[in-house]
Amino acid sequence: MPQDRVFLVVVDDSPERAVALRYACLRARKSGGRVALLRITEPVGLQEWAGVGALMQEERRQEAEQLLSALAAQVQEITGGLPTMLIREGDPVEEVLGALEEDRRISILVLATATEGGPGPLVTALAGRHAGRLRCPLTIVPGGLDDSELDRVT
Amino acid sequence: MPVYLPIAEMSVDALLLLGIGLGVGWLSGLFGVGGGFLLTPLLILIGIPAPVAVASGANQTLGASVSGLIAQWRRGNVDARMGCVLLVAGLAGSSAGTQLFVLLKRLGQIDLAVSLFYVVVLGTVGLLMVRESLRAIVRRRRALPARTHQHSWLHGLPLKMRFRKSRLYISIIPPAMIGFGIGVLSSIMGVGGGFMLVPAMIYLLGMPTTTTIGTSLFQVTFVSANVTLLQALQTGSVDIVLTLLLLTGGVAGAQFGAAMGTKLRGEETRALLGLLVLTVAAGLLWGLLATPASLYLMGPAT
Repeated sequence: MPQDRVFLVVVDDSPERAVALRYACLRARKSGGRVALLRITEPVGLQEWAGVGALMQEERRQEAEQLLSALAAQVQEITGGLPTMLIREGDPVEEVLGALEEDRRISILVLATATEGGPGPLVTALAGRHAGRLRCPLTIVPGGLDDSELDRVT
Repeated sequence: MPVYLPIAEMSVDALLLLGIGLGVGWLSGLFGVGGGFLLTPLLILIGIPAPVAVASGANQTLGASVSGLIAQWRRGNVDARMGCVLLVAGLAGSSAGTQLFVLLKRLGQIDLAVSLFYVVVLGTVGLLMVRESLRAIVRRRRALPARTHQHSWLHGLPLKMRFRKSRLYISIIPPAMIGFGIGVLSSIMGVGGGFMLVPAMIYLLGMPTTTTIGTSLFQVTFVSANVTLLQALQTGSVDIVLTLLLLTGGVAGAQFGAAMGTKLRGEETRALLGLLVLTVAAGLLWGLLATPASLYLMGPAT
């Protein structure tokens, strides 16, 4: 069983993130591999007071860490292993591509589509305009799948 | 291209006003601030009477804050309950401040008072900004500022209220005092006060940074609206030609600034802003101390 296969899930604030995460966990459990979580924080921008800016950055990072550790517990429940946690700051699309570029262990990027009003900004960009810049396969999970359907397809 | 300003009762170059609006708007887009604290003293420096400069500064701040508030509100970064506490106190403060303004104007001391306020406030703020950014430039990796979370006398006050969005359970007296103080400054100086409100909310009240910017804009928007209205009603000093020219430049400048905001390096830009603030304060101080060109003036007594 290949143990070095890594499924990357982008942790944003959309409802379909849960579907992508569950798909990645189930795949990792059933066919071997690990899960990596990537959270992209918004850059702080220019603040009049440097202290305020530094504090903002620090708080966003802490928030991201809390969220990722909560999700890591879920991942461990399903796969039995702790996920790799990545936090990056900047534009979502660029940072996903950057993470794939830097971390060569990632083998598959898992994204889920939004259930209404277009497939969501990340899917649109990474499956469309920026698809050529990906350096690993991309799996798109329909966001409307429920748990039993996810069980079946994995 | 001189235009006559009907309320200020003087002629000014329209291009100069557009340029000032553009420059201040650029800065306010860059830092996400109202910009009143630069606009009002600049207007005073080019010779606009203080009451008109203050009223126009408040009006400009209002214009800049509304768009910022809408953006923050959509992203759920406004703590409406905290905002309301600050706002009620801010409205009281700005109404009281306007009465003080009217009184000083009647005494004929308003130009001196506004300039003095600016010299003190801008001098302090400018010094702090320059010091802060110089320190950051000298050692880029510096320890993060410690946030005081220990209990102080502020936590022993009565009238406690739960602010869910900011995850706070504190007395409403400190935010009310801060709101009142900023309201007074806002009406006398024609500033929104965001540059003082944000650090006060973070360091004194202990609010999380996610909600401070949006909540301070909430307070600034309505308080500067109140100041503009009261100034127009009570002192009749909002000059429509002046504000129109300034806002035209300001809107264009803000777009530029917002687009550039993410590309510039923080410390250097901040140091420049601090120096600019100090220069303006020094200019006003010089105006107060220098011997006038003509010591005696012939004209109707005011």
